[in-house]
Amino acid sequence: MNMKTASAFAGAALAAAAMIGPAVAQDTIKVGILHSLSGTMAISETTLKDVMLMLIEEQNKKGGLLGKKLEAVVVDPASNWPLFAEKARELISQQKVAAVFGCWTSVSRKSVLPVFEELNSLLFYPVQYEGEESSRNVFYTGAAPNQQAIPAVDYLASEEKVVRWVLAGTDYVYPRTTNKILEAYLKSKGVKPEDIMINYTPFGHSDWQSIVAEIKKFGSAGKKTAVVSTINGDANVPFYKELGNQGIKATDIPVVAFSVGEEELAGIDTKPLLGHLAAWNYFMSVKDPVNDAFIKQWQAFIKNPKRVTNDPMEAHYIGFTMWTQAVLQAGTTDVNAVRQAMYGQKAKNLTGGISVMGVNHHISKPVLIGEIKGDGQFNTVWKTKDLVPGAAWSPYIPESAKLTADWTYPWVCGGCEKPKYN
Amino acid sequence: MSPTLRRIALVLLLALGAPAAWAQDLAAPLQALVGDDLAAKGEAMEALARTGDPRAAAALQALGDGRLFQRKSDRKVVIAATTRGGALTDAATGAAAGSATAADLDEANLNNRLRRQLSGLLGSLTLTLGDAATRIAAAESIFKTRDAAALAPLTAAIAAEKDARVRRAMETARAAVVLVTDGAEAERIAAAATVGARGDRDALGLLLQAANASPPAVAAAAREAAATIQRRLVMLDAAQNVSYGISLGAVLLLAAVGLAITFGVMGVINMAHGEMVMLGAYTTFVIQDWCRTAAPQLLDHSLFLAIPLAFLFTAAVGVLLERSVIRWLYGRPLETLLATWGLSLVIQQAVRSVFGPTNREVSNPTWMSGQVDVYGLTLTWSRLWIIVFAAIVFVVLLFVLKRTAFGLQMRAVTQNRAMASSMGIRTHRVDALTFALGSGVAGIAGVALSQIDNVSPNLGQSYIIDSFMVVVFGGVGNLWGTLAGALTLGIANKLLEPMAGAVLGKIAILVFIILFIQRRPRGLFALRGRAVEA
Amino acid sequence: MVTRRLLVGWTGIAFLAVVVALAVLVPALNLGLPPSSRFHVPTHIVVLLGKWLCYALLAISLDLVWGYCGILSLGHGAFFALGGYAMGMYLMRQIGTRGVYGNPLLPDFMVFLNWKELPWYWYGFDQFWFAALMVMLVPGALAFLFGWFAFRSRVTGVYLSIITQALTYALLLAFFRNDMGFGGNNGLTDFREILGWGVREPGTRAALFVATCVALAGGFVAARAMVVSRLGLVLVAVRDAESRTRFLGWRVDRFKVFVFTASAVMAGIAGALYVPQVGIINPSEFAPTNSIEAVIWVAVGGRGTLVGAALGAVLVNGFKTWLTGAFPEVWLFALGALFVAVTLFLPKGILGTLGGRRRRPVPPTPTPAESRAAAE
Repeated sequence: MNMKTASAFAGAALAAAAMIGPAVAQDTIKVGILHSLSGTMAISETTLKDVMLMLIEEQNKKGGLLGKKLEAVVVDPASNWPLFAEKARELISQQKVAAVFGCWTSVSRKSVLPVFEELNSLLFYPVQYEGEESSRNVFYTGAAPNQQAIPAVDYLASEEKVVRWVLAGTDYVYPRTTNKILEAYLKSKGVKPEDIMINYTPFGHSDWQSIVAEIKKFGSAGKKTAVVSTINGDANVPFYKELGNQGIKATDIPVVAFSVGEEELAGIDTKPLLGHLAAWNYFMSVKDPVNDAFIKQWQAFIKNPKRVTNDPMEAHYIGFTMWTQAVLQAGTTDVNAVRQAMYGQKAKNLTGGISVMGVNHHISKPVLIGEIKGDGQFNTVWKTKDLVPGAAWSPYIPESAKLTADWTYPWVCGGCEKPKYN
Repeated sequence: MSPTLRRIALVLLLALGAPAAWAQDLAAPLQALVGDDLAAKGEAMEALARTGDPRAAAALQALGDGRLFQRKSDRKVVIAATTRGGALTDAATGAAAGSATAADLDEANLNNRLRRQLSGLLGSLTLTLGDAATRIAAAESIFKTRDAAALAPLTAAIAAEKDARVRRAMETARAAVVLVTDGAEAERIAAAATVGARGDRDALGLLLQAANASPPAVAAAAREAAATIQRRLVMLDAAQNVSYGISLGAVLLLAAVGLAITFGVMGVINMAHGEMVMLGAYTTFVIQDWCRTAAPQLLDHSLFLAIPLAFLFTAAVGVLLERSVIRWLYGRPLETLLATWGLSLVIQQAVRSVFGPTNREVSNPTWMSGQVDVYGLTLTWSRLWIIVFAAIVFVVLLFVLKRTAFGLQMRAVTQNRAMASSMGIRTHRVDALTFALGSGVAGIAGVALSQIDNVSPNLGQSYIIDSFMVVVFGGVGNLWGTLAGALTLGIANKLLEPMAGAVLGKIAILVFIILFIQRRPRGLFALRGRAVEA
Repeated sequence: MVTRRLLVGWTGIAFLAVVVALAVLVPALNLGLPPSSRFHVPTHIVVLLGKWLCYALLAISLDLVWGYCGILSLGHGAFFALGGYAMGMYLMRQIGTRGVYGNPLLPDFMVFLNWKELPWYWYGFDQFWFAALMVMLVPGALAFLFGWFAFRSRVTGVYLSIITQALTYALLLAFFRNDMGFGGNNGLTDFREILGWGVREPGTRAALFVATCVALAGGFVAARAMVVSRLGLVLVAVRDAESRTRFLGWRVDRFKVFVFTASAVMAGIAGALYVPQVGIINPSEFAPTNSIEAVIWVAVGGRGTLVGAALGAVLVNGFKTWLTGAFPEVWLFALGALFVAVTLFLPKGILGTLGGRRRRPVPPTPTPAESRAAAE
């Protein structure tokens, strides 16, 4: 009996080890897709997995890359941060992928970052984030704070004459940093400290009665007030429902959000939210032939004529286009060669401009401010004239203002005060 | 053109005292309305309003409703029947212009500033039209925009108004305009008092604004009126927080009451309880979706359809789970934890496969939208209905448990299975029905929660921990305990939140539960007797 | 006296043999052979196995309280995470000026949130011995305090389970707060060195793996020593008939506090070994679902068997690793079905079913005084 258990244990251990067999020889170029398909982040990330599959399929129809077909390797990190690191390692070491497209939220990126740096591979991160980072192994195709937050505040101050600000966010690093940058920025513009209210809520906060009432109270001080919302995905639906029900109209207290896009609005009845704002680098409603084609292709791929597109999808579109161009230019998928070829890479974005990859691994983007319409789309009310290059380090945080991110000679560094010359 | 629009145009004409200019060419300002230049758009709106042309009024109305478009094919400015297109009218001539769908049309955009301006313009227009509610809304919109141009029509409207409520709203609106425009000081001081009588936050905001930027005497009057409102609001604050607490308590009660049966009465550590709530919410979505396409007239009442269907559906799922898995595990509560956890993973993933991982839209019916003002206490209708609904569910459940034969059998079986069985009760059937009842109640909780929260596969996960806390805090196996637990935790949470912030408040509540259980190891309403030790 | 044979048993010997074999073979095959060799164990396998073995130690600690004393803790992940944070704080302090802002004292996230000085509770963590002490002391002290109150108040059954869950949930929320000074949602990451060796070096990884194996074996032997001693008998008595044990004159609460604290220390050590191998510690480790998962490993492997708990942890996590890669879209169905199937068809868990009867050595009945001494 006991020997039986012992042998069962040994057998199980062997089986566990056998699960991870050696890598198979490859005649395709593998592309890793590291997006959560289950757990709390699945709500946002599943779409991005589908976009990547579509882009890869499209590229294969065009004949693949370097005469080889592309092969998507999908894994599910299940919204579990240590599992992100594990899966990243699996993709790079075992599957030998040429590049990885994935992650959403800073903590998932922070969790895989050591793995990418250790194994020298490439990650394309498609979501707006707090900046303060420039890794040699990550290309940031989402917006940095200067490409989203600051233009939005400028718009409200000039167009809506807002003088009193509520900075409401979920308590994690992106809202913390964005609000810190905004607070410094607003103060530099002469806003008094008592005209700024900062509020943080936990993840998935669902009871917004008190906070919305608090905002209403803050907004009834006789000065034009606006809310800058960095509230994270899941908590937005109950937040907006409460706003709508408590009768806060955009004409009274406009809310400008940085994490609410078409996908999130698809889950809300937007009629009470008419006129509330969002700042992004892409809106589905932008009229542009490239965008129209992209939307058509997406809806055909997903077999749903009502599916929406959003900003992180565009980020993956740009990132993937740039990567394929860089691979063609380098003539290989070798990470170092591709990285070198990425700098200055140009790709058409979906809003009619041409984005350029900077030497700090961030891309240039237009900034769009949109107002929510009754059909869950955004109506672009303001747009930057030119594309804004992404800044890794914010000038409004004293420690970070000193740093430069430039991965070409002579700097060769993601955050240095002096060039490194190597 | 409809007769109403003609009347609007007529009133516009009288109200603004504009010269008749029927023949004036509207083409240029109309083109500006569909253009991209926002400043030009604002001027065009003013210009159109000044013309007093009925066609211009119609165009402005359409602009406000989101029915003003530019046709892509010939760049003509048209008014559509609905926001999604339909029959078209040429905005410049008023002639019919065929029909089109949204794809062929470019919508005329507005931003918030223009929307405010437009609602001011339209506000003056609708002051003497429509029913009392419309007139009050018009007065309200003038109160918000405080457009000086609205003063004359407002004064005229007050003189003609017969309904006291409407007149009061108009007088407040007029006072608001007077307060912020340069005029006689005495009149402005009187206006401050009128605005102050309104007594809410909007009035407070306006008064504080006046207090900052007015001649000293007016500012003093405004400040005084504001102080009165503030004193009142401070007193209301505590009551307001308690009311938020009750509403949170009702949500917790709804979420937990099903668990009070499956876990409290049956002893199944039901980790799939949250998923039952989620299934209830998805049932609501399916029903609404069906109503939207098949029976739009039912949409506003779809919840009444959703409640029984959600109950039946989740109860059926409950029976299925009970018969296939849980019935093998009675008396082994810890193993039910493992099995129901597995089931919850499966149900979540199944919903994700069928409905997709993204949020689905469940809209509030009109009777659940907006808020109600009770002596300065504001409560949203959705929350109020949820409180009522939770109370009904609770009472019905109590009745079923205590006053029906099924309830009696259920209690008998859970207290002493062998004895109940020998008395001729079919225990298996009772088990299945009890689990079905608990699941069904969870399902109708889902219907209610769909009104205030995300409808996504993760919905259940966000309530499961709170539900367990409520049941355990109240005392397992006692429905009154669940009620008391839900209300205590809800109110305590909402009283703490303004002081400590949302996160610390929640932590404090958890620590409180831990400490409370030390004092009363069997919860608020502990069961007594020998069965407890088993 | 307890003999060697009694101490571990056949299953235990097999288990220890496997752990020792892993400790020797895995680093040897990883470092000693070139990557081209057929028998080379790639680094990612070393990392993966290391992670699973940390989970195994957590599972053993949980089995000690649940399987032998009937305390179902739904918050054991909290002790694991606290141990992890203590280690993470040491690793953060080792970064020194290599952080992005180059501040010699403050970790990056503090610089970034405008903290001017190091909070007092971060002092001492630049010393390894201090951190190592805290790895055991912090979870141990929390468990002692918690157990002291809960067990003296005779909180039992589901009430206890739910308040342990409340404990880990409260800690989750607390550590999420950026104002707490533990890095908020991002937690602690970007580690460079441990005791002067780079954490990303293959040699360090191998050493950490060996340390994990040693801790696992040590934890197993310690837990085993507890359960086969007289203390263990009292624990089982408490599990099976708590009131009767109390009426017989045993101070049930002290036994429970002791075993709960010991188990928390073990979980803390597991967490501390986990962090440098995984490279990040953040509040999600406190999530109640993580603790529930740990309970499930134990149930799958076999409650009250220790070896089974470890086996369950490795199997469930192995299964999960494989499924999330091979069937990313449907793996939850398989995992959920596995849990249901185990409960229905293997109610005693894998090892419990295979092993048949539970081993219960019957030493002479101890006097209350003796076992009270054992508990203290």
